[in-house]
Amino acid sequence: MEAPLKAEFARWRAKHFAPDDDRTTAAGIPVKPLYGPEDVAELDYGRDLGLPGEPPFTRGPYPTMYRRRAWTLRPLAGYGTPEDTNERLRYLLAKGATGLNITFDYPSLRGYDSDAPEARADAGLGGVAIDYLDDVARLFAGIPLDQVSVSLVTCNPGMAAITMPMYVAAARAAGVPPDRLAGTCQNDFLMECAVTTAPQPLAPAASFRLSCDTVEYCLRHLPRWNPISFVGYNLEEAGATAVQELGLVLAHARAVMRELQRRGLEPDQAAPRLSFFFSASNDLFEQVAKYRAARRIWHRMMREEFGAQDSRSWVLRFHVQTSGVALTAQQPEVNVVRSAYHALAAVLGGAQSLHVSAFDEALGLPTEETITLALRTQQVLLHETNVTATIDPLGGSYYVERLTGEMEARALDFLGAVEAEGGIVVATERGWVHAELARSAYEHQLGVKDGRLKVVGVNCFVEPDRPRPVFAQPVAAPRQGERLQRWRQVRDGDAVERALDRLEVVLSSGDNTFSAVLEAVEAGATLGEVHRRFREILGVWAMPLFGR
Amino acid sequence: MKALVAILGLDSHWRGSVMVARVLRDGGLAVVYLGNQFPEQLVAQALQEDPDLIAVSSLSGSHRTLVPELMRLLVARGVDAPVLVGGAIPPQDIPVLRQAGVAEVFPPGRPLGDLTAFVRGLEAGERGRVASQ
Repeated sequence: MEAPLKAEFARWRAKHFAPDDDRTTAAGIPVKPLYGPEDVAELDYGRDLGLPGEPPFTRGPYPTMYRRRAWTLRPLAGYGTPEDTNERLRYLLAKGATGLNITFDYPSLRGYDSDAPEARADAGLGGVAIDYLDDVARLFAGIPLDQVSVSLVTCNPGMAAITMPMYVAAARAAGVPPDRLAGTCQNDFLMECAVTTAPQPLAPAASFRLSCDTVEYCLRHLPRWNPISFVGYNLEEAGATAVQELGLVLAHARAVMRELQRRGLEPDQAAPRLSFFFSASNDLFEQVAKYRAARRIWHRMMREEFGAQDSRSWVLRFHVQTSGVALTAQQPEVNVVRSAYHALAAVLGGAQSLHVSAFDEALGLPTEETITLALRTQQVLLHETNVTATIDPLGGSYYVERLTGEMEARALDFLGAVEAEGGIVVATERGWVHAELARSAYEHQLGVKDGRLKVVGVNCFVEPDRPRPVFAQPVAAPRQGERLQRWRQVRDGDAVERALDRLEVVLSSGDNTFSAVLEAVEAGATLGEVHRRFREILGVWAMPLFGR
Repeated sequence: MKALVAILGLDSHWRGSVMVARVLRDGGLAVVYLGNQFPEQLVAQALQEDPDLIAVSSLSGSHRTLVPELMRLLVARGVDAPVLVGGAIPPQDIPVLRQAGVAEVFPPGRPLGDLTAFVRGLEAGERGRVASQ
């Protein structure tokens, strides 16, 4: 930067702002009142930005981006029985959704059947109840699985390791071979062991192994499937800052790449099918910087650390869900505005796929009306705002480029800290990850409490509550439990037992479990029966959430 | 004073319960954080720990089934510690929970200060009870 210009900035700043009058981003990165050429003096266009679809992919994973193809409009759906959710899926496709995104109920996520005593209060809540193969078939009845891209929000490897075999078997029965299946499953051991709780969670090493079993099988047999989605979204929901979110998912992805290499897969076989899932939260420019930095770090990690040669290995692709935790139960209509800004951040950051949260998220599951409004929010962004006309429109902004660099540097520091803890699996076992999340969550909570962080309707512009309609989740447990009990009576119980016995042997041996689970579910075993073997053979642990 | 903090049933969200545990600990209480608990187990823990307060969290909707179950068991086994319920509790469920014997409900967005105030009230009651003995 020219010396006179630098002096001009200094003069201007001294005149209008006190020396210490900086703010910070949500993640605590200092923000100056004004950015200029001086702040990006070290930026090298070719090295740090490049062209869309070209290294280092900062400006976008694909050359044509939204000019050629819109992001996938992928609303979440899932509640009650498979029939209940099937109806909602068809409704969303009819309203213009271009991908599906299915959530599962609490018992399914944790491997309990709908008729288990543990499931008595939660069956069909928060997602769809899945117990055995036929449930998956009915969930997708009338939906062409070789044409619609499906995201299975299975969260935990313990569930993905059962649901993916069910999905493969159900598709095959419907005439769709595995190599025609396109979509993604969440299959993230941090979800199982750090982000969410359960009475008897699988231990981190066990969950990580099952996760890699699913990834390995899919890489070999489902070439169009993304067998893992590294979840940043729920980390942010649990309290992570943008820096922690980015650092944790990348540390996790690095660990999976290493494990797949150990299993004999080349980096170029694995990397192109790994996918990411980020949050879009309040600090708009910081979110955009997070996505841009993620692509830049991934490119370098794949190329320099793993020696990937195929350019598809260098590209980080991601889905975004707009933040749920940023939404409020008070004056919930205001959430429509919040989510629209979140969605804008995702699109300015080059997301491949998007779910916009419904405004009643803080109150319960969305109604048809609120989920449609959320879908319409995406459609307005896509068709009316013209933000898709040019690629990476914030590229070159002094502030956004500087912030992208800061985000990259801090995420790399965080990656270093995880390595120092022994890698992501060990860091989770030691409770380091939980402590990181809880610390940020607590700081955020204190900020809201003492008013440093403004939340409209919560600690400012407060209005008296008035009653609002809440979606009444259908009671699924009896219907689902009765069907399951009929199934237990008609199936070949001996064949199920034999298949489960074989699964136990594979689990103990350390071999890949996928084929054994596939055989078991095709023989008629339930999700709960398979998962019980996981817990018995692989072991459970107590999550280190809060010391005495 | 001692508090038990737990997540109900198969609910998977820990953020709220851990925040409450920290606020209680910062307020000088001994906190026993139990993670996920079904009513039966939680009552067994309460009999063992003899808490002054039991705080349970649910964001899954399971409170409709499990909180009344918990309250019945606590009464049956003679545990008289007040029970707080926090989480995604729709407004229309609050009277039902109060009816079942829950001392206080903390739906989304209710200020943490209210929790602190509730604990101060308990402490004052405790001091009064000790003084009158």
